[in-house]
Amino acid sequence: MNWLRLISIASLLLLLVPVFVLLYYGLGPFRDAVGYSAEVFRSIELTLFSSALAVVADFILFTPLAYYLARGNDRVAETLVDIPISVPHPIIGVALLILDSPVSPTGKILLSLGINFYNTILGLVTALVIMSAPIYVKSMLPYFESKDTSPEEFATGMGASRLRILFSVVLPNSSDGIASASLVSMSRALSEFGSISIIAFYVLQYPFYGVSPASVTIYEFFSGNMSGGLNAAVTASAVMILVAIPITLAGHFVRRRTRR
Amino acid sequence: MAGKNGSGKTTLLRALAGFLRNVEGYVVIGGTNVTNYSADKRDIILVTPSTCFPHLKVDSHIMWGANLKKLRPSKEYVMGVKSGLGIEFEGTVGNLSRGMRQRVALATALISSPRVILVDEAFLGLHDREAFISVYGTFAKEGGADVIFSSQDEADGQLSDHLYVMNNGLATLKR
Repeated sequence: MNWLRLISIASLLLLLVPVFVLLYYGLGPFRDAVGYSAEVFRSIELTLFSSALAVVADFILFTPLAYYLARGNDRVAETLVDIPISVPHPIIGVALLILDSPVSPTGKILLSLGINFYNTILGLVTALVIMSAPIYVKSMLPYFESKDTSPEEFATGMGASRLRILFSVVLPNSSDGIASASLVSMSRALSEFGSISIIAFYVLQYPFYGVSPASVTIYEFFSGNMSGGLNAAVTASAVMILVAIPITLAGHFVRRRTRR
Repeated sequence: MAGKNGSGKTTLLRALAGFLRNVEGYVVIGGTNVTNYSADKRDIILVTPSTCFPHLKVDSHIMWGANLKKLRPSKEYVMGVKSGLGIEFEGTVGNLSRGMRQRVALATALISSPRVILVDEAFLGLHDREAFISVYGTFAKEGGADVIFSSQDEADGQLSDHLYVMNNGLATLKR
């Protein structure tokens, strides 16, 4: 008997118990139409939209950092990248709130420039960027590290700068790695609750006026602040899982293809 | 530069190109000490068998370094290099055979007019190797570039002006 395989399967099942429980009860005994109402789908729409924007921002802002870490030897920076996801997530929401508060100097400047995080899509996306960027960087890092450096050295010999090499040589040949890291970080953004429940409990902007992100909506059902209660929370959770699973699986398959 | 596996050929080439910085000694090119120059300032191009930009078309690839340096080589010169190096094909570089990719990379290095081209076993996969090295050497001389190429076979010294033999990290001038 292969004990290692048996233990591994048992651990995996343990990890997946919450997912199975929610899918079983949400689509079965606890199913409640409120859990898949138009309101829930608007929440999911907002979550998908903001997560996709966050991933675009991750790509633009953090691909250079991932490349820098992969080609440099800056262990301090590599450790610092992990900080946002290693602190309780509501802290990030509180930090954004203070950063953009009318009582703080930074908030005065940001608000005077029309930059408002509180209950806006910008605030929601900013929180999601902070929470998903470490995952994006940590996914791109081994990808860049595994790439053959001879084309980069070739370009260097011709006088190209590191940034030029990144954009002209590395990125055009990294679509698989970028797709994989983007999908993985999007999965992370979809699941975020702590930070966004503080900075963007709901969005007060067109086209999502009054809509909460999916994780907040589920919490609202559960806490009784929205009618539907536990049954609606469990059903909405099951629906959200069904939406998130294909993205997670796609990220996984692209990553496996990348490793080949 | 001939030597067996592990003799230090690649290490020496990488040190010359500026990719190994913690080494002793000096790198002097044409009287200029470039030891403290970063790799992008040395004007030394390192070509290996896997060197290429797979996403580019052949012509864009060949002109990549020249465009970067804002050089304007004549059309005749570029056509001459392409013809001389047997680049009579088009398409995306990543879809070409290994030998074709090596030809394109070597042509790219040549047309970007560096002071030195280091060829780390990138001549090995070419079917017309001897003729290719001879033509390549002629183009390089015309362009004022020195070419150092590595090989495992000392007999390849016949194809070059000088022969260094590498052994345990030591290069000895044989000819």
